[in-house]
Amino acid sequence: MATYTADVFQNEFLPDGSAEVHAVVTVACTGAGQAGQSGAGDAAEIILIDTSGSMDMPSAKMIAARRAAHVALDEIHDGTLFAVVAGNTGAQMIYPLQPSMVRMDAAHRTAAQQYVAAVRSGGATTIGRWLDTVRELFNTVPAAQRHAILLTDGKQEHETPAELDRAIAAATGVFQCDCRGVGENWVVDQLRKISNALLGTVDLIATPDQMEADFEAIIKRSMSRGVADARLRVWAPAGSEVIFVRQVAPTVEDLSDRAVQMSPLIREYPTGSWADESRDYHVAVRVPPAPVGSERLAARVEMVVNDQVMAKGLVRAVWSVDTDLTTRINPAVAHYTGQAELADAIQQGLAARKEGDERTATVLLGKAAKIAHDGGNEATTRLLSKVVDIEDPDTGTVRLKREVATLDEMALDTSSTKTVRVRREEPK
Amino acid sequence: MAGVPVSACPHCGAEIHESDAFCEACGGDLVGAVEPAAALAPAGYPDVHHAPFTAGTSILNAPQQQRTVACGYCGGAINIDGFCENCGAKAPTRRDHWTESPAAWVGAVCDRGIRHARNEDALATMATESLAGNGFAVLVVCDGVTSAPDSDQASLAAAIEARDHLMAAVRVSEQSPIPVGAAAIEASVRWMTAACRVAQVAVIGVTERIRAAAAQRGPVTGSVEPPSCTFVAAVVQPQRLITAWCGDSRAYWLPDDGEAVQLSTDHSLASELIAQGMTRELAEQSPTAHTITRWLGIDSPTPQPDTATTDLDRPGWVLLCSDGMWNYATGAVELAGLVSQAIADGATSPTTIAESLAAFANDQGGHDNITVALARVEGTSSTPPEEA
Repeated sequence: MATYTADVFQNEFLPDGSAEVHAVVTVACTGAGQAGQSGAGDAAEIILIDTSGSMDMPSAKMIAARRAAHVALDEIHDGTLFAVVAGNTGAQMIYPLQPSMVRMDAAHRTAAQQYVAAVRSGGATTIGRWLDTVRELFNTVPAAQRHAILLTDGKQEHETPAELDRAIAAATGVFQCDCRGVGENWVVDQLRKISNALLGTVDLIATPDQMEADFEAIIKRSMSRGVADARLRVWAPAGSEVIFVRQVAPTVEDLSDRAVQMSPLIREYPTGSWADESRDYHVAVRVPPAPVGSERLAARVEMVVNDQVMAKGLVRAVWSVDTDLTTRINPAVAHYTGQAELADAIQQGLAARKEGDERTATVLLGKAAKIAHDGGNEATTRLLSKVVDIEDPDTGTVRLKREVATLDEMALDTSSTKTVRVRREEPK
Repeated sequence: MAGVPVSACPHCGAEIHESDAFCEACGGDLVGAVEPAAALAPAGYPDVHHAPFTAGTSILNAPQQQRTVACGYCGGAINIDGFCENCGAKAPTRRDHWTESPAAWVGAVCDRGIRHARNEDALATMATESLAGNGFAVLVVCDGVTSAPDSDQASLAAAIEARDHLMAAVRVSEQSPIPVGAAAIEASVRWMTAACRVAQVAVIGVTERIRAAAAQRGPVTGSVEPPSCTFVAAVVQPQRLITAWCGDSRAYWLPDDGEAVQLSTDHSLASELIAQGMTRELAEQSPTAHTITRWLGIDSPTPQPDTATTDLDRPGWVLLCSDGMWNYATGAVELAGLVSQAIADGATSPTTIAESLAAFANDQGGHDNITVALARVEGTSSTPPEEA
């Protein structure tokens, strides 16, 4: 049986008349068990590999994709419903042969791996149609927990952006999806849009030889998610306004758009399935100010699984005239505010650079270099230094490099939302 | 969270730790619900709860479900976590506001005020049914020092232990020949000094318990001010009032007919300024006026009281209060005026009069915790004089 804890990190003291309350809530899950085996229902897994013509240019990509799918099938637990799908101009079943899902066992695994080995490439990239096919397949089974890997090397073709958006909207809430792009011809924003909506991750596989290990890790993680579906429930008092609810670790994701209004004061945010892990959420609420000395609850933050509250964190507001208290900056809130700004600065800086707006790009990537330096994001600093020359990280002084490898730029872009954890303090 | 399990959550029964503010199982608020001084049950005293003594219903004796059920601001339901489910207001706990009415002639109120997040004041009272014969009352007020965390626990422990000590001391004295004159005064000063020492020991006990709990949670970083509080106590007997104080909580005698007087002299920098010739008004406005020069606490250089003995030769009120009250009515005459006003406004019992005074302080801003304890003295007619 999974158990959750919720710890709140905040400075609850507000100066007279102040209204904005910020808190970081660390939610941790233990005892999650294995996917499909914790009594919550079956788990279902779909592997979708891009088999468009470009996957054979060079052929190493297609070879690696076959091997990666092979390894992924090894990792899918017996008893899990699964299918393997080829994406090209439309989507075709690789295994099973009919549009359906089968329960994994030794025989199905061997058969599926044989069909995967025989996959040939050809055709175009139509990601929207692929998502539709995956959704339809998942809808043929009553599984409680549905997860897909989507691998592509290219960008959406033969479909309008609206068609892709519609496919994403239709898939939202039906399955979770981790997206991987191989090579440098795919579009980070496109896959990020999918993975954001489908509660997954997006990452770059720079060279085909990294694909096998990556797929293995994704399926392992998926199989370790014994909690099928958990929601973050946020209560805020009458007369208040939820400014944002944002996941801030392990990655930055603004959850505000995912809110489902449950009652006038309660919203729920889907968080997908959980393994033994912890995630941090930054909650910001504007509350009606109360007289100095008053204490109000600014938010109740609860983790809900099957309508059962698993853990609860209280975000408080205490109005005070003691400036020693009200001016204290909570390190977790400050750190994660910076991490969210870092992701924004990188994404917008890279976009400006692409558009030729060097001035904006320099300012934003400089800001990113400073935050990454201050926040201890060493990996990000390393990736940034391939795109800009960091002259002074303390002030954020950078110069754009003249020659930047596309892969370096994409690596920086995809990693922009990965955060480093704040150094822990005692929960209050 | 670290820490040894000390008791069960009053809401759901799960194990909780001393350091927990909320129950990890149900999220219930433990700060208000757990008896703050539950581990501080007085030991080593005679059974002081026998008739004819009536101890004030302090929060130690209160049932554990201490919160109101409806929000005082919007009428919303109160969640098990202690906050309103509609507007989020924190429901007051018994520690935030309580009254004691041990007898019809004794009443007291302890209130968080408006500006402070916690009520660090405390009081403890007891009284016989009347002041006639061997009747008496004990009033103790302690004001926890806000800058030191956990002073709310220290003040409550100090007040209760001192009250219990004085109850026992007066009772024991009744079983021996009643001393008179100078001997009586000497004896009563001894009670008071001992009661103050007992209160000091209680504060140190709280300090050690908190330090032990903190040490179990991990290495202690930085220096934390030890919990500390002021002390003022009164033993009201027929014809005689003995008071003792340490710090700036005060005792007053407000006769119906005659001059209202402050019996205590604050141990504060303001007092020192007054002693040097500054007017009271100016001295109490100085920025360091509230810096106390004596207090109870493990770091206190002088945890000893001054004492005063007053003849109660006419009807009137004995009033003890913390600075949250006298900040808004510093002179004895002003306080006497507030008491008269409360009676004129229809307050009939000492407790309702005390509530009225606390409401006045809150109306003025409630910048500090407010404690008022009152005993009504009806004068000499009912009891023959004991002293020549």
